Formats: sequence, structure tokens, C-alpha cells
Amino acid sequence: MSTTPVIEVDRLNLTYGDFHAVKDLSFEVRPGELYALLGTNGAGKTSTLEVVEGHRRPTSGTVRVFGRSPDDRRAVRPRMGVMLQESGFSPDLTVRESVGLVGRLTRRTDDVDRVLDLVDLTGRSGRKVSQLSGGEKRRLDFATAVYGTPELIFLDEPTTGLDIQSRDAVWATVDRLRENGATIVLTTHYLEEAQQRADRIGLMHEGAFHREGTVSELTRTLPAVIRFSLPVPAPALPVRAAVDADGKVVVETFELQKDLHLLLGWAQDHAVELQDLAAGPTRLDDVFRAINS
Amino acid sequence: MLSIASSELIQIFRNRLVLITSLIIPVAVCVFFVRQHETYAAIGSLGYIAAIVTFTVAAFGLYATAVTTLASRRQNLFLKRLRSTAEGDAGILAGLLLPVVVLAGVQVSAILTALAVVAGGPANIALLVVAVLATVAMMIGLALATAGLTNSPEHAQVTTLPVTLGVIAMASWVGITGTENLAWLKRLLPGGAATELTMNAWNGGVAVTDSLLLLAPTLGWVVVAVALATRLFRWEPRR
Repeated sequence: MSTTPVIEVDRLNLTYGDFHAVKDLSFEVRPGELYALLGTNGAGKTSTLEVVEGHRRPTSGTVRVFGRSPDDRRAVRPRMGVMLQESGFSPDLTVRESVGLVGRLTRRTDDVDRVLDLVDLTGRSGRKVSQLSGGEKRRLDFATAVYGTPELIFLDEPTTGLDIQSRDAVWATVDRLRENGATIVLTTHYLEEAQQRADRIGLMHEGAFHREGTVSELTRTLPAVIRFSLPVPAPALPVRAAVDADGKVVVETFELQKDLHLLLGWAQDHAVELQDLAAGPTRLDDVFRAINS
Repeated sequence: MLSIASSELIQIFRNRLVLITSLIIPVAVCVFFVRQHETYAAIGSLGYIAAIVTFTVAAFGLYATAVTTLASRRQNLFLKRLRSTAEGDAGILAGLLLPVVVLAGVQVSAILTALAVVAGGPANIALLVVAVLATVAMMIGLALATAGLTNSPEHAQVTTLPVTLGVIAMASWVGITGTENLAWLKRLLPGGAATELTMNAWNGGVAVTDSLLLLAPTLGWVVVAVALATRLFRWEPRR
């Protein structure tokens, strides 16, 4: 497989009037990668994504998709599928007509029935878009993005408003596309989705990268956490700990395995039961919470 | 482009409000003018009737419908959706506008044919076709410019008023009073020259070369409208 990046962004700047939405942002997305662009509200991820998708022109900097300008729709768009953050379908067209129209305009070929089946909208194919629920509209949007199995797929908050079955179905489809080598660019507010699936994460804050790297690179910068409840009275703990608002003992450590071993040995020796014991690496949520602190 | 056009046609026929304002009302008004052609020919001329029906369809059937359609497709992000495909901007606009243009063309042809049947045909059909095409081009340009100033389909009811009422007023003013007085003013305002050209084509009696000069102001308005449209037109709703 080629190692030329699918997306190259070099010193991208985007301003709206006085507002500097994206500041000197550079990153690459490699073939077959799932790259998650995450960030706080207003961090500039949708603005960045819109430049890469070709919906917006950068104020300065260069963006290349498959080595070409995203403005070159004829060359670039047939190779990429876009799931927008907001649907953008005509309420007067049916589900089948919408998928057929957008599918044809992508210049890819596919079978509308196959795509509708993929997102479980076969039973809704004759309905007007105005009659769909929010989750069904998201699935319709996803259907148009994966129509014709493009090499690159943008998923802007793909699972917002979906029930758990639909969410699993979306990810199952994405996994299949990835097995066939598709590259995915994702934004999401469900951090566990990014944590589980992203190869790399660009974490944006105020228009620039706060951090960029693999999930473990990002979480490694913060301590792992052990939490449990202690019966009172209890002997002195073998590790440094604090008590949180719920009265739980919280141990923050960069040496999870060693400290957990110490703690379990101590509990065994003193016949203390560590109730509701939980231990794990830092979650992406904690990386997020640490942005502003 | 044709995929967009055919989906647009489906949408027009599914939306009763659009169907009524863009098809039924202009046709009803035109039928009235054709039925009363003796009265209006006495006030102005048969050429005046030809001009007023052309502008009725072009203003309500074409212009107002085009502005409403563009504002509505932008508001529900359909334009953005179309722009995330491989279709170019020109193809998207052409696809969206083609059905209303064709419908307006069919309406004008049918009504002018009806007028010709009941009251006698035009003196110069080719010139009449040129006049109608110039009028359509001007109204499309103005529609693109107006769409840039229109935030929603509801807002279009207000933003389209100056042009729709303006061109109907111009057609009546020129059609009834002629261009003996204030000729330059009447010819330079939008719709004035196109009305005079339509009247010349229908009534005859004016040299074709003189009539063709009347194309200049109309095409001038096309240029102005397109220049405005390139500055004003937006593909996404204002946030």
C-alpha cells in the first residue's frame, strides 16, 4: 500500500472576520488510518474538516487530499464520502431518491438497495425525508457517505442521536470498510469511540493542536487512576491517596501495575475489602478535562 | 446536472405551495389577460399583452420561484450536500434552475400561442423569441442576486417584491404609455427595454436593427445581476 498521505495539511489558518478559528495547524492522515479530530466546543475541528472537505477556502496554508486541492471536485470527490454534521437532505424527496441522487453525483457506482440495507433503512425507502426520525436521518447521511465504497470517508459526529444498535451497526460497517483499506477521518463527542478505534488523535483547543498522537501517547501524559471505598477504620494506606467528593479513595499513579500490586498485597495482609475497586489507564475524558486546568 | 434537475422537478410537483405560486397563479393571471385582450389591446396594444404575460410568468413563475427554491435549498443545507459531491457549482445551479426555467418557457410559449390564436400572431416571431430569452436571462440573473440577500423561503416573499412589482410596473408603464416621453429612463430601468422589444416584435412597424439595440439594456442588467450574484450568493446559511 502507498504510504503517501491521503490528507496533508500544512500551516492551515482560517479566520472569520476578527476570529482566528484555526491557527497554523499541520497534520497528515495516512492511508488506512482512522484519524480522530477531537476537541472542545468551538476548538476549530468542524472548520478544519470543512477546509479539508473543500467546503471552505483556507485563509492561508495548504491542504492536499490525494495530492490534489480539495477544490478539484471532479478528481477528489469520487474518491471520498462525506457525512456532514447536519443532514442537508430535501424534505420532499424520499429516502431512496436522496441516496440515488447524492450517490449518482459522487460519480461512484453502487446499488441503492444494498446501501439502504447496510443502514437498515430498506423499510423506510419510500418515505419522505421529512418523516424520518433524527437517528434515521443520521443513517441516511451515513448511507450517502459510504455509497460506492470510497477510499476516504469523513464522519462528522456520525453516531450523535443514534441508539446503541444503530451505533454498533455504523461501526460494524466502518470496520468492514477499513478492512478493505478505507481511510477514515472522524469527529465525535463520544470519546470512548475514539479511544477504542482511532489510530491517531488530533486534540484541538482554540484553533490549534493541544496534543496529537496515538491514544496511548495521549493518555500516557496523565496518571492512571485506582478508585475504591474503604471501610472505617482502616490501617494506613501503602500509597499516596486522596478522597474524592463521594468519599472514594483515589490513587493517581504513573506506575499502575506496581502500585496496584502494593495495594492488593496490603489489603490481603490486613484483611481489608476494597469495595467497588476500579483501576485503569487514564481515559481520553481525563485528557480532555486536563485541557483547561 | 440532469440528476439534480429531475430531483428538483419532483420536489416542485410535491410541494403544493410552490406549485400554486409558480404555476397556477401566473397562468390564471395570463388567462385573464388573454380573455380580456380586446380591453387591454385598446389600453395599450396586443404587444403590451404579450409583454405583460411574459413578465407575469418571468416574475412570479420564474424569478420568485427560483429565489424561494434557492433560499430553501440553502436553509436545509441541501446546497451544501450537493457541494460535497463531484458536481461543480455551475452544474448545481444549472440543475436547480433548469426545471423552473423550462416550466416558465413552456408557460410563456403556451400563453403567447393562445394569444396568437385568439387575437392574431406576432409580426416577427424570431424577434419575439429573442425578447423572451433576454427577459428570462435577466430574471435568472436577478434571482441569483436576490437569493444572496434572502435568508429563508419565507423571507423570499419580502425580498422578491421590489423586482416582481418593479418589472410588472415597468411593463405596464412602457406598454401603456409607450416610449415617446422619458424614453431613456424607461429603457434603462429593468424590464423597460425588454417590454419595448416584445411590443415591437408583436406589433411590428419598427426596424429590426432598431429593435435589437433594445437588447443592450436588458443584457446590461444580466451583467449587473450576475456581478451582484457573484458577490452576494452564499451556499450555506449564515450562522
